[in-house]
Amino acid sequence: MFHLTVAYIFIYVCLGLIALGILLLLQMKISHNRELRNREAYAKKHHDYFVYVQANLQDNVELRLPPGKLKKLEKRVIQDKFIEWIEQFKGDYRLKLIELCREAGFVEEDLKALRSIRYGRRLEAAYRLGGMRAPEAVPLLQNILQKRKYSSLSIVMARSIAKAADNSEDLLQMLRALLSHGKPIHNLAADIMLETGLDSSAILLKLLNDSDSALVKVGLVAMWGQAVPEVMPVLGRLVGAEEKDVRAEAVKLYLTTNPALKDDTIAQLMSDRSWEVRAEAARALGQLHAAGSIPLLTDALRDSSWKVRYNSAESLAELGEAGFEALCQAALTGAGIQREAALHRIELVMEKEREHSAIEQMVAYNKKRLLYDRYFGVKQPAKRVGGVAAVGGDYSA
Amino acid sequence: MYYGMVAVYYVMIVNILYFTIMILSYRNIGTIYRRSKYSNYNTLSGSELVPPVSLLVPAFNEELTISENVNCLLTLNYPTYEVIVINDGSSDNTVDVLIKEFRLKKMPNPEFRGTIDTQEIRGVYHNPDYPSLFVIDKENGGKADSLNAGINLSHYPLISSIDADSLLEKDALIRMARMYMENPEEMVAIGGDVRIANGCLIENGAVQKVSLPRKIWPMFQSIEYMKAFLGGRIGWSQMNGLIIVSGAFGLFRKDYVIAVGGYRGGYPGEDMNIIIKLHRYMLSHKIPYKVAFCPEAVCWTQAPDTYKIISNQRKRWGRGNLKNMIENRGMLFNPKYKVMGMITMPYNVLFETLNPYFRITGLLALVGYTLLDMTHWRILLTFFLLNFLSGYLLSVGAIVLEEIAFRRYKKLSDLWKMLLFSALKFFGYHQLGVLWRVQGHIQYLQNNNSWGTMTRQSWSEESKTA
Amino acid sequence: MPQTVTLQREQTTDVYHHLGERLKETSPDTCGIMFLYSSANPPQLEERVREILQHGSGLDYEVLKDAQTRTLAILLPGLTLDAAHYQALLLKQQLQETVKDADPRITLTVFPGQVEPTPGVLKQMAESTKLSTSSDIHIFTKEEAAEEAGRILIVDNDATVREFLQIRLKMQGYETLAAHDGTSALELIEKWEPDLVLTELNLYGIDGLPFIHQIQQLPVDNTPKIVVLTEQRVEQTISQCFKHGVDDYVTKPFSPVELDARIHRCFH
Repeated sequence: MFHLTVAYIFIYVCLGLIALGILLLLQMKISHNRELRNREAYAKKHHDYFVYVQANLQDNVELRLPPGKLKKLEKRVIQDKFIEWIEQFKGDYRLKLIELCREAGFVEEDLKALRSIRYGRRLEAAYRLGGMRAPEAVPLLQNILQKRKYSSLSIVMARSIAKAADNSEDLLQMLRALLSHGKPIHNLAADIMLETGLDSSAILLKLLNDSDSALVKVGLVAMWGQAVPEVMPVLGRLVGAEEKDVRAEAVKLYLTTNPALKDDTIAQLMSDRSWEVRAEAARALGQLHAAGSIPLLTDALRDSSWKVRYNSAESLAELGEAGFEALCQAALTGAGIQREAALHRIELVMEKEREHSAIEQMVAYNKKRLLYDRYFGVKQPAKRVGGVAAVGGDYSA
Repeated sequence: MYYGMVAVYYVMIVNILYFTIMILSYRNIGTIYRRSKYSNYNTLSGSELVPPVSLLVPAFNEELTISENVNCLLTLNYPTYEVIVINDGSSDNTVDVLIKEFRLKKMPNPEFRGTIDTQEIRGVYHNPDYPSLFVIDKENGGKADSLNAGINLSHYPLISSIDADSLLEKDALIRMARMYMENPEEMVAIGGDVRIANGCLIENGAVQKVSLPRKIWPMFQSIEYMKAFLGGRIGWSQMNGLIIVSGAFGLFRKDYVIAVGGYRGGYPGEDMNIIIKLHRYMLSHKIPYKVAFCPEAVCWTQAPDTYKIISNQRKRWGRGNLKNMIENRGMLFNPKYKVMGMITMPYNVLFETLNPYFRITGLLALVGYTLLDMTHWRILLTFFLLNFLSGYLLSVGAIVLEEIAFRRYKKLSDLWKMLLFSALKFFGYHQLGVLWRVQGHIQYLQNNNSWGTMTRQSWSEESKTA
Repeated sequence: MPQTVTLQREQTTDVYHHLGERLKETSPDTCGIMFLYSSANPPQLEERVREILQHGSGLDYEVLKDAQTRTLAILLPGLTLDAAHYQALLLKQQLQETVKDADPRITLTVFPGQVEPTPGVLKQMAESTKLSTSSDIHIFTKEEAAEEAGRILIVDNDATVREFLQIRLKMQGYETLAAHDGTSALELIEKWEPDLVLTELNLYGIDGLPFIHQIQQLPVDNTPKIVVLTEQRVEQTISQCFKHGVDDYVTKPFSPVELDARIHRCFH
């Protein structure tokens, strides 16, 4: 029965580990539940204080610290509440709460914890220091960020730096460290960067002028949805950038500001190598009411990129009767993808305009209706061929 | 006698491998716990910088639960997304229920951008008041076919497949997107954690109070899922060897799903199939990639609670698994396919697909020997104990992982219940699992491709019983 | 015994007259005043209160008892509202620690402030202290004296935000209610008919544009104004909200002062 010895050992090891696991489970569950209960009790105890802070959070009021001697967990409960408020508020109220955290010694305590040997504790402290917007923690945080391998936790660290940093140099340094791993995380980096309480337009300008194209990209994506007049000249330069991604992003932003475009610039953009640039140009042409670009847009209905076709059709529909007629023509005489794109847009236009009742819109609608009837006949609406389009396209959009 | 000993050693080796995977899970659990604890989703969930996602929801005869599920999906904490429900030629009123609930109108000329072949589309429905909801009505063609139709209509670069019987937590999608944004170039697929909703209190399309199932079938499955997801997938994800992303909730890069030809129609196991195809494609094109598991993104699903339905589901899984293994046998021990070819696939064939046969024959051999010569009873007992204790240890290990990082079940009594059922699982349920898998294999050999019965309960009933 | 009743009434009016006089003396300096009531009426309550206040470093105070309502009026000359509030919470905490079943109810305000120190107002304060159902320290504000204010429904997932907005808006004289999800918000709007709904876009049950749309479809006499206060910063969503008739859109993190101004604008 020699062979079975191994099996016996295996069984004993299993038994031991099971016992250990169950003990561990009990210990964790009980202590965790106790902590939850205590937290609840402390939150209740300090409820009046929390109401006091919220009711008196006003310009000329100096807030007092919670009364009495506080236990460790009690402090944590109060600190967590403060941080929650800091995250919700902007301006003076936030500053007041930050000041309160400092007075209560929370910042000092977490700065100490930031030097702990245990990574878990350091990370926890880093998270809270970011929450309390403590700039004195930034050098240490940068150090940790640069030393550790890139992981989800680097993001936690970077966010804390972005929140706590009180000058743009620190922010740039953080972004450099984050992007040094060569991952294309520009969107995430931009989101982190926007957590800052500093004036973002100055930082954007710095990013766009940086020699590192990764930082330029972060700057470009961070500008989505916000108009920053100061950076327009730089943007104009980036439209001609060598790198495809940078160029596409820059064109996209540049065109949303509705600049006056020369004919050859339009032609150049519409024949750019990158489909994103073409798509953005096609979209912008409709908004610019550049009626001269109808032929270009009609051609673009044949583009290999779905997005370019879609935007071109949309822009044509925005270009009055002439544009609409071009659409109808493409739908009738064109083939494959061109016809598909045009037809879809025509249906949308007819559907939408039917709902309007204002007189001038009625006039515009009737004119289009006439055109529509001329091309497709009075009764028969344009019918799709088969269920699914049997034409190529790309899915990057 | 020798065969019996081989079975004993086989069990030990299998379990040592399971333990190794679990140790990998343990190595990573600290990071998982911290990243979810120290991440605030409020800035991300409102940000223009988060990639938009198309949620694809195939539905076949789901009239009872569909409107509640769609309502839940429409209130996710995510900046830009759309919900595409694909009615796979249901024989009940799934489409009508949706049309009524959301006052949908047929779109006159819907544009399909994708070109994957699917069954004929009967129509696409939409209502501008619910701008992010689309309903595709199509002829029956299976789950994979429905997903393909959804891909064809979808407008966004990421797609997420979601079962119509699942409820996503509000933060589930943004948690996944955060993982994607941390490595957008390499991440091709991310799977979510699936948990059993039976027994939980469900209100307003969301799980309000978590507790364990009352009935035994869902309870066993609850333990089983925890063991598979926390104990297994975290570890596999660590070494980029995940072979499956749950069909109930997964996020994919649309461009790569299309590059591999979309989902495969006709058979069960489409969720495993798409992942194997992605691995295959990325490895043979030498593109660095990752298939990851995101345990903090949680989806609650209704587990079958009758013998008939659960056995059908398991047989289907067995069939799907075998089919995928046979079809992709070329990857087995092929160094070109790295972790996938050298570890995941062989592991899957030897220890998942063939597992029942080793165990059954081993058991039969030992019982036979013992009947012939009663002095062998010790070996038989050892075999039983080995099976039981190692399996139990894995369950305990999974519960410890749960307790470290997630703590969804708050009560101490829940803990006892989990420990008890982890043990009970080995007296009956486990053996049934083995049997179902074998039956699934037989079905495969008989070329039986039916879906089997799968009935749903409405969520409101679920919350009433809870 | 009608005589006793008259006597007591005289006494009580006396307390408030006396208080009013005292407050006039202290003006134009501020003077905090709080009313304290304990339903258990522990015998040594007044004594304890005096002791506690005595220990408060260098605090100027005066305690009067209204025999009829059994409330204590505590005058705190020189204290501003925040300081008086802080004293109230110290007092409450210490009473709870030392007196069994104290469960003190406290209402406070400051003069000169939102209300005039007339005997009527003071009496109203004392009575509202006695009738208070919540153990929270209550700040007495103008609209309680005036009874005409806008109604605001606060809808947010996050309890922290709901609490803050309720406290703040109440202090500015609005009547508020809070709902934690879209479905219950819709029910409340129909029942309570608020003038304004201050809502997050991301809610359970129903949210975003469908939620806004539903509010406008509700069969109420006056459709409430809608101010969105949300994390959602996607440009398209913002413009769609305005298109659907949202009155204002504020993103989080928000400046409470700015929010006040925007809400104020909606009411005028």
